[in-house]
Amino acid sequence: MSEPRRNGSGRLRADNLSVAYGRTVVLRDVTLEIPETTFTALLGPNGSGKSTTLRAFAGLVRPSGGSVRLDGRSISTLPHRQIALRVGVLAQGPQAPEGLTVAELVQQGRFPHQTLFSRWSSLDEAACDLALSLTGMRDLASRPLDSLSGGQRQRAWIAMTLAQETGILLLDEPTTYLDLAHQIEVMELIAMLVRDHKKTVVAVLHDINQAARYADHIALLAAGRLVALGSARSVLTAETIDQVFGVPAMVMDDPVTGAPMCVPLSRAVPVRDLGRAS
Amino acid sequence: MIRVMFFLAAASVALLLSALVQGDYPVSFADVTKFFTRDPSLGVEVKMIVGDLRLPRALTAFAVGAALAVAGAITQSVLRNPLAEPGLLGINSGAAFAAMVAIVSLRDVRPGLLPILAFTGAMIMALAIHILALRRGNSSMRIILIGIGLSSLAGAGANLISAFGDVDRVQRAMVWLAGSVHGSDWADVAGILVWAVPAMGLAWLARRQLDAIVFSDAIVRSLGMPIDRVRALLMLLCALLSAAAVSVAGLVGFVGLIAPHLARRLVGRGHAELLPVAGLIGGLLVMAADLIGRVVIIPAELPAGIVTALVGAPVFGWMMWRRRYV
Repeated sequence: MSEPRRNGSGRLRADNLSVAYGRTVVLRDVTLEIPETTFTALLGPNGSGKSTTLRAFAGLVRPSGGSVRLDGRSISTLPHRQIALRVGVLAQGPQAPEGLTVAELVQQGRFPHQTLFSRWSSLDEAACDLALSLTGMRDLASRPLDSLSGGQRQRAWIAMTLAQETGILLLDEPTTYLDLAHQIEVMELIAMLVRDHKKTVVAVLHDINQAARYADHIALLAAGRLVALGSARSVLTAETIDQVFGVPAMVMDDPVTGAPMCVPLSRAVPVRDLGRAS
Repeated sequence: MIRVMFFLAAASVALLLSALVQGDYPVSFADVTKFFTRDPSLGVEVKMIVGDLRLPRALTAFAVGAALAVAGAITQSVLRNPLAEPGLLGINSGAAFAAMVAIVSLRDVRPGLLPILAFTGAMIMALAIHILALRRGNSSMRIILIGIGLSSLAGAGANLISAFGDVDRVQRAMVWLAGSVHGSDWADVAGILVWAVPAMGLAWLARRQLDAIVFSDAIVRSLGMPIDRVRALLMLLCALLSAAAVSVAGLVGFVGLIAPHLARRLVGRGHAELLPVAGLIGGLLVMAADLIGRVVIIPAELPAGIVTALVGAPVFGWMMWRRRYV
């Protein structure tokens, strides 16, 4: 059995990927390579196939056409455990049974590393400790999840995914339902994981401006197709945003970071003189 | 954990001793000591009452309770429902139907054959539910709904037979089903242990799977568990445990529901501790229920299943009440 890879990432790519739920095709002919040790954000309107793309990358849905490859091997031929040693997934709005503590949750991340007769090792313990301190959850480790705030709970789930020690992390809407402070906290955490821990992160996001600020690459999806892929600067233009989201917008420079920033136009609220903008 | 286990084990031994002493025919502690030290001065009658009646009966009660409790802990985790119990898997109604058919319709069933038939009925039922649930992924909700459906069907079948059957035989079937370890002998002890011990061992080996399976299917899969296969195997273990319990004791309700709850309050959710502690608690509960049933209305007896229902129903209500805001 191959040693689990500790920090080295993994290569994930989709070739002509199509996914259908029953007769409804939700993803058509998507070809997308995730660059290693970078942060890729999946953006698009509701129902555009973002989460499905993520689930296909995790091997959780079977493609109806094309393939997903992990380090060159088709993911549908890999055993679940082999995928779980290389790809960690944070599901959307995950649920835990009542009374489960943060520490107990994080320990579950070690599941793929254990065999029927193996014991809980110091390696397992170290991975959980690291996951807890990276997410700032060490002091809350003994608290039940249901006693925590939304932001803390989300961090606990991220800690569980981190304890899995995979090179690739797939996060489905990690910031949804969080308040602004907690959203930023999660985004900073992701950026830090990519920068300092050489993780490859793919996240489904809703906030275009957060994606533009933090992500290295943006994949724009609409109606199950990949519309644009590349740096925030190249992908986020007034035209693509109008095309993908159906929202006329102005794109300007974020005064803090210089990344592109999207400001929707309005019909209901009087718009001030836009002479200055491009 | 160690202290909890030690306390429960000590309580079990204490209860076992009092089960040997208490009853219609008075036996002293001195006699029980003599029995275990094989003192030749012990009277034949006392020796027979302790060794052939009370001891196998108490041990059967304990094994039945332990098997039901472990089965309950597995069911609650696999179905992700704290109010689930093995009965939901259709095991009880399968066993009840088989027993009803055997006692009412077949001529002169040998007593030894009845547990085997009940066991078979329970397993067929559990398998039927599983095969039906598997057709489109065995999600826990499908299992619960199909279980309820098939259970009603089997219940209706049993009712049909009892409505047209011979009254004496129907009554015998009812008594058998009421959940009693009355008349249990060493063959019953062996009959349940032969299934329950390996099934409990396997359940304990699957403790990590049980810890992880409480999350949603997507999370469990992304942790690398082939969930459909694991769920099927765990359900099979659960079916084996409860079928073994039902086949020797009939229907003993609420233990599979309540014992895992009490265990969770004592040692938390980790199945490495939860399974053995739940087993001990379940064993204690049924042994206590049988003892109570045996001594409250001497010389008559209340079946243990009725005692657990009388105690269990209010406890169940209290559990629902505590969860009213969830």
